[in-house]
Amino acid sequence: MKTRITKTLLDSWAYTFDCYEGGEEDAMNDFLKTLNREPIEENEAIANGKAFENLVWDIAQGHEVPPGKWNEGARKVAEIVKGGQWQVHVDTDLQIGDRTFWLHGFCDVVKAGVIYDIKFKAKSFGSLDLYGSYRGHSQHSAYLRCLPEAYEFVYLVSDGEDLYTEAYNRHTCRPIEEIISDFMNWLESKPELLKIYEEKWVCDG
Amino acid sequence: MIQHGYELDFSKQTFGVILYGAPGIGKTTLALSDGNNGGDTLLIDLEHGIGRTNPVHRMNANVLSASTYEEVLNDLNTPEAFAAKTIVIDTAGSLVDYLKDWAMRTKSDAKTKTGAFNGLKGFGYVKSELESFVNRIKTVMNKNVIFIFHCDEKADKDGNPIQRLRCEGSFRNTVWTGIDFGAYIQMLGNKRYACFTPEDEFFAKGCHGIEGHVEIPNLKNDVPNDFLAKLFDTARKNMQAENDGVAEQMQIYRGAVEAAKDMVEGVTDADTANACMKALLSLNHALTSKKEASKMLNDKCKTLGLAFSKAEGAYVAGDAK
Repeated sequence: MKTRITKTLLDSWAYTFDCYEGGEEDAMNDFLKTLNREPIEENEAIANGKAFENLVWDIAQGHEVPPGKWNEGARKVAEIVKGGQWQVHVDTDLQIGDRTFWLHGFCDVVKAGVIYDIKFKAKSFGSLDLYGSYRGHSQHSAYLRCLPEAYEFVYLVSDGEDLYTEAYNRHTCRPIEEIISDFMNWLESKPELLKIYEEKWVCDG
Repeated sequence: MIQHGYELDFSKQTFGVILYGAPGIGKTTLALSDGNNGGDTLLIDLEHGIGRTNPVHRMNANVLSASTYEEVLNDLNTPEAFAAKTIVIDTAGSLVDYLKDWAMRTKSDAKTKTGAFNGLKGFGYVKSELESFVNRIKTVMNKNVIFIFHCDEKADKDGNPIQRLRCEGSFRNTVWTGIDFGAYIQMLGNKRYACFTPEDEFFAKGCHGIEGHVEIPNLKNDVPNDFLAKLFDTARKNMQAENDGVAEQMQIYRGAVEAAKDMVEGVTDADTANACMKALLSLNHALTSKKEASKMLNDKCKTLGLAFSKAEGAYVAGDAK
């Protein structure tokens, strides 16, 4: 049996251990929704993220955009990603122990050996400590594994004005096999959740 | 002057560096370690801390002391500043404090009615002036720039220590984007290390082969203070080697992407799409050009109402499913 695995599932699981104090129940509920493949309700953060990404896309394509409060930040991101390909599907099969996984996802932009992921933060950078905040995410490990021709993964983080970048390569990211192994070990200690995973995430065919 | 990528020479490449760590760990002395000739380094000593370094290790530096941001700017226009290879900002957190003072004195809305700093407006001025200051040193003056930060030990949610840059405003985040190396300086046993690879306790940044824990020599009076000079030399050599290795790949990549654009442009129906798919595969590919070319074709096919049929291994009209 081959099962699907995505960065969304792995990150929602990891967040149950790394969420803010008092947010454990919400984090577990979100993970269970993801595990059950329930659609994620669009909230303000998701809508803002999409709107910002669309703005970057428009600017990168050379389209005229009306004046807006995020234009400066979007221009800084567009300058980096213009000429790249957007929403590139990447995937690979992984054999970990006696299980086979289909690891897949969509890269925001791929350009000249670099995978870019665009993030939007509604809070101003002055109130955040961003550096290092993506180190524990599985996305860079997963996508660099799926696209061996890429040598770097860069998070492009904007608050609509400033740009913060955080880059990872194969030397500085945790192997995705380790992350998946940790996840499966945890899941195997919870048979009722393992059953859901094996039912809902089984690959067709 | 326009040069091909393969012609680039990195022997005079300049770098941006963050050094941070606990008080007394030797950040300032380390920051003065790029240059053995008098005047190679200009230290902007905003915390008046130069006296805490060993005189032997600071003799080759010029020291800029100032009591206002305007004085710093004036002194950056001197021949000593232009002659320096490296400019050290000690500390970046203090530079933000100097800029807050400057904003309060020169911008009426950077101050509240009670005379306090108006964070909302004031940090806008600080940020834009700081950007222009750093750009001037790095881009216009083309210097190595070294930002020293104090650090604050905080606790993560599980109570484990994490080290954060001590600096108000957004600069503690945005500074990482424009720098090449960011090192957390720490003692491990009785040795000092500059750590260039991020760990759970601290963030760091390395590139051009500079990574992991690099031991900092224990300086005695007869040991030259040249840690950064050697590190920059190594990075320059690695950059040259990387460039020479990648230049050919980049040429192939660009050729493949340009050819793919032309081929995809000519796709009008399923037959031309399938011919194009074969032609794209036969191109000489490098880096991610194959993946990008395939995405270009897929996007074009979508606009033509074509979908890829896994069963047929080809593009077909309509919904392949």
